[in-house]
Amino acid sequence: MFANFDFDVIERSWRYLFFTGMAFTLRLTLFAMAGGIVFGTLLAMMRLSSIKPLAWIAGTYVNTLRSVPLVLVIFWFYFLVPYIGAWVLRSDTPIQVGAFASSLLTFVMFEACYYCEIMRAGIQSIPRGQVSAGYALGLTYWQSMALVVLPQAFRNMLPVLLTQTIVLFQDVSLVYVLSITDFVGAASKVAERDGRLVEMYSFVAVIYFAACFALSQLVRRLQARIAVVR
Amino acid sequence: MIKISGVSKWYGSFQVLTECSTEVAKGEVVVVCGPSGSGKSTLIKCVNGLEPFQAGDITVDGISVGDPKTDLPKLRARIGMVFQNFELFPHMTVTQNLTLAQIKVLGRSRDEALAKGLALLDRVGLKAHADKFPGNLSGGQQQRVAIARALCMDPIAMLFDEPTSALDPEMINEVLDVMVQLAQEGMTMMVVTHEMGFARRVADRVIFMDAGRIVEDALKEEFFGTPRSERAQLFLSKILGH
Repeated sequence: MFANFDFDVIERSWRYLFFTGMAFTLRLTLFAMAGGIVFGTLLAMMRLSSIKPLAWIAGTYVNTLRSVPLVLVIFWFYFLVPYIGAWVLRSDTPIQVGAFASSLLTFVMFEACYYCEIMRAGIQSIPRGQVSAGYALGLTYWQSMALVVLPQAFRNMLPVLLTQTIVLFQDVSLVYVLSITDFVGAASKVAERDGRLVEMYSFVAVIYFAACFALSQLVRRLQARIAVVR
Repeated sequence: MIKISGVSKWYGSFQVLTECSTEVAKGEVVVVCGPSGSGKSTLIKCVNGLEPFQAGDITVDGISVGDPKTDLPKLRARIGMVFQNFELFPHMTVTQNLTLAQIKVLGRSRDEALAKGLALLDRVGLKAHADKFPGNLSGGQQQRVAIARALCMDPIAMLFDEPTSALDPEMINEVLDVMVQLAQEGMTMMVVTHEMGFARRVADRVIFMDAGRIVEDALKEEFFGTPRSERAQLFLSKILGH
C-alpha cells in the first residue's frame, strides 16, 4: 500500500502547511478559547442568576446553539454577519468581514455555550458558604465572583476546560468550508494541486493525533497535580 | 446596636421565622440557642442581610438591613461574621485571607492591611502559620483565622453562627478562649451556639428559639436559674444532663 507513497510531497510543502495553515489554526484556537471562556463565564453567571429573565436568555441561547450543527453555524455567520453588521451600523451595503474575524466570532459564540456549561458546573461546585463569607466581609457580587468564586471554579474545572479546548482545536478544521487556509485547508490545497490526497490527509491525521494525544496527556498530568493540591 | 423587630421569614409557604424581636446593646454578649431547625442560624444571617426576610425590620447601628436603598456591602463590612464551616478562602494563604477585604473593601494599603492582619493573627496565637494555606491547618486553627479575618475589618459587632459545631471536641476550647477574650474586651456579640459553658461564662443574655419563634429572652442568671417556658426547661435539662 505504501509502495507508491510519495513522502516527497510532505517534504516540499511542510513549510506552507505549518507556517500558513497551522499558524492560522492555532491563532484561531487560542483566540476562540480566550473569547469563549470569557463569554461562556458571563453566560454561566447569567444562567445561575436569581434574576429570571437573565437566566432565561442565557439558557435559551445555550440550548439553541448547542442544538445546531457547527458547520451550519459557520455558514450562517459567514453569510449573515455582513448584513447584521450593516443593520447595526445602519449602512446601506453589507460590511466587509474578513474570513478570520467571521470564523473567530462564530467559534467564540459557539464554544461559549460549552464553556458556559463547564463554568456553570464549576461555579456550582463552590460551596454557598464561600459566597456568604465574601459578602459578610463587605465584598460586592462582582468582587466575590472575581476574587472568591471564579478563581476556585477555574482551578476545579481546568482539566475540563482544556479538554474542551482540544475539541475546539479539532473543530477549527471545519472552517475549510469557507475555503480558509487552516491546517486542513492548506493540506487539501496541496493535495489537489499535486494529486496526492492519501499522503496529505494521512499526514494531517497523524499531526492532529500527535498534537491532541500530547495535550490530553498533559491534561491528565495536570489533573493529578491539582488533585494533590486540593 | 442591633435591633430586631417583628422579623418573619418564609421559604415558599414554610414559615422559618415568626415575629422575632430582640435587641443587642453595645458591648452586650447575647447567646442564641435552641434545637436544630429552630431558625437561630437563619435569624443571625438576617442580621447582616445574608438571608432576606419578608416582614419586620432589623437595624444595625441605626441602619436598616431590609431597606432596599441600604448599601448592604458597606454595612456588612462593619459587621464581623464567623461561620460554622470557617469559610476561609482555600485558594489563598492565611495572610491573603486576612488582607483581601481590608484592601478591596476598606481601601487600606497592602502594608497597612498586612500589619493589621499579622497583629490579629498573633492575637489568636497563629503567627507562625501566616503563609500556610487553610487546607493545611486544623479546624480549630482555621476558625481562629476566620475570627481574625473578621476582626481585621474593625467591626462594630460580631456574629457567630455555630462557630464550634464543626470542630473536633479537643479543638473547641481554643476557639472558645478567643471568643471569651473578645467578649471580655467589650465586643458586641451575637452568638448562636450549643456551648452552654460559654454562655454561662460570658453571656449577658440568652435567647432560646423553637420552631422559628423566640420563646425565651432572658438575662443569663434567669435563664439558667428558672427558665419560664417548658420548652426551654426541657432543652436545658437535656443539654446539661450529661
